[in-house]
Amino acid sequence: MEQALQVIFSATFIAAVLRVSTPIILPALGGLISELGGVGNIALEGIMLTAACSGVLISVATQSEWLGLLAGVVSGVLLALVLAFFHLNLKADLILAAIALNILASGGTIFVVYLLTGDKGGTSTLISKQMPFIEIPIIKDIPVIGPILSGQNLLTYVAFIAAAVVSIFLYRMRAGIHLRAVGENPEAARSVGINVRAQQYLALGLSGFLAALGGVYLSMGYVKFFARDMTAGRGFIALAAIYLGGKSPVGTLIAALVFGAADALAVQLGNLKIPSQLVQMIPYVATLIALVVYALVQRQRIIARQRKFREAQAA
Amino acid sequence: MQATVPTPTTPSFDRAAERARVQQERRRAALIDVLVTLGTIALALLIGFLVMLIVGKDPVQAYSALLTGPLSRSNRTGRWIEDATTLIILGLSVSIPFRARQFSLGAQGQMFAAAMVAGAIAIYLPMPPLIAVLLPLAAAMLVGFLVGLLPGLMKAYLNANEIVSTLMLNAVVVLLYDFLLTNVFTPPGAQALRSDAIQANSMLGRLTQILDVNLGRANLAIIFVVLLVIGVWLLLNRTPFGYEIRTIGSNEKFARYGGINTKRTIALSFAIGGAIAAVAGVHLVFGVHQRLIPGIAAGLGFEGIVVALLARNNPLLIPVTGLFYSYLRVGGDIMEQEASVGTEIVLVIQAVIILLLTAQVLVNYVKSKNRRITQR
Repeated sequence: MEQALQVIFSATFIAAVLRVSTPIILPALGGLISELGGVGNIALEGIMLTAACSGVLISVATQSEWLGLLAGVVSGVLLALVLAFFHLNLKADLILAAIALNILASGGTIFVVYLLTGDKGGTSTLISKQMPFIEIPIIKDIPVIGPILSGQNLLTYVAFIAAAVVSIFLYRMRAGIHLRAVGENPEAARSVGINVRAQQYLALGLSGFLAALGGVYLSMGYVKFFARDMTAGRGFIALAAIYLGGKSPVGTLIAALVFGAADALAVQLGNLKIPSQLVQMIPYVATLIALVVYALVQRQRIIARQRKFREAQAA
Repeated sequence: MQATVPTPTTPSFDRAAERARVQQERRRAALIDVLVTLGTIALALLIGFLVMLIVGKDPVQAYSALLTGPLSRSNRTGRWIEDATTLIILGLSVSIPFRARQFSLGAQGQMFAAAMVAGAIAIYLPMPPLIAVLLPLAAAMLVGFLVGLLPGLMKAYLNANEIVSTLMLNAVVVLLYDFLLTNVFTPPGAQALRSDAIQANSMLGRLTQILDVNLGRANLAIIFVVLLVIGVWLLLNRTPFGYEIRTIGSNEKFARYGGINTKRTIALSFAIGGAIAAVAGVHLVFGVHQRLIPGIAAGLGFEGIVVALLARNNPLLIPVTGLFYSYLRVGGDIMEQEASVGTEIVLVIQAVIILLLTAQVLVNYVKSKNRRITQR
């Protein structure tokens, strides 16, 4: 137990949490935007996987990590726009279409990788590029905080900055407020002249952009290769983080960090002879509990609002 | 005889003609459905063909392997039967919550849970023949029911997102299975991570022995399939519960105003789907592997969806679509061996089918609605 506590309160552990949380924070923020726009994106997983794969392949082909990043983001956004097109134009069921895209990504990435490398496991035989790790001057020399805040991957910093930007976008900018209005009540939004479909395209496109960044981080930051189904459910954990975080950017960020911590803990506890499977369960069980808690809180809120309404009527 | 009885309603109302007209209309709608489905499949296969043309593989050779492979040798046909058994059961399992417009993605966890329970009983508890199949089957179905009920209750009573809850539950169950397989079921000192074989009384007879043709691991679980198809059809079409599910599926608000306890019915639709998915898990342990192995039901999580969707959740059509889709899956494996084109192209085809069907279902829905309005 003492050993476990020592592990948790070490600077290396906290640095690891930031590393492991990054590919949950980014898609969760993306999912949050689409959720608030009334078009919850279940295809985050597939978008991440596609971005992770195309990023690596293009970075290998061009030997440029930046072109890899670009390719990953473009492919992710495209996939999100395909979802938007099927749902908004062809009136396909959003959930079923998203499930189809997840299957497409899972099968399509391996199909392409196998075609190019003859290996079904992934691209570990290829020499791929990695996004840069950033040493922050001055901060890196501060004890304890230095190793946590400095030396992380570029995309880890991007994830935290994205949380702030998404927050400003959703609550301080016209487009974000319109987007939330559409999610809250599309008819009302339409009646005041907001283009509902355009807002929902924007919401899905942005969710694709952020999820793609998370995917690129996985294959070009966290590691340096693409592996079969390497997202391993992070796209869905990200969805859960949105609910656990009460559908707010800060809450989502914190929830994603909690999931990341559970994940990092599983790795650390593996060395301490605690069965890794049981530790790995923690984030999933936490999510299930969080879903229930969130629902109960929501319900209490509605009941309280109804009571207030009735009291106001009586008065 | 009936013609002489004066009808108390409008004299011009011809009941027989009206019935014939309704039936003709129905047949026409069914025909359109079938044509749309076949068209979708053809289009998806064509897209797969084009993909292979673009990537420079020999699409004709690859496609002939894909489309004739499962019939080329009897053991391959056996693989087809074996896979179809699982997929048909999964399709039936998904069709029940789908009919109530609920997206339960919990089949994977339910199969692992069922495999775990049925396997444990069949390994450790000596039982006489028949009981050795039925008792673990009942226990597994009960567990599948409960694993389905939890997200069902969460959805029905708390409005918790069923996709997140079922997928999280899947992860938990799969990890638990992995944990128990590693620490409990695998005998100490064993070379590989796998349990001992289940007792002989629990094994489902292989068709290879029964028919004296090499049909691989295809087994008597096909009896479960027949019973389940009939059972699910009866449940959906001949019971009050089935009526409630169908009413909720077509209009939940109407169902609630009509006095249906929608919450209970929705929760139960998840649970019954879980009990059926459990049968697929039992098939994997008792029929296919005859022991517990790592990832026993891996990669089967979403396969029931395409089967149910192609059959438009009609239990009588699910065997047809299940046979079709497993044919593609097995054909894909053979194509990979013979033409070195990844079997994953089948997943791509699957995704295209789902995308087109879900788009067309709604387009058609609108179309038929318009037609009905214009006819009035």
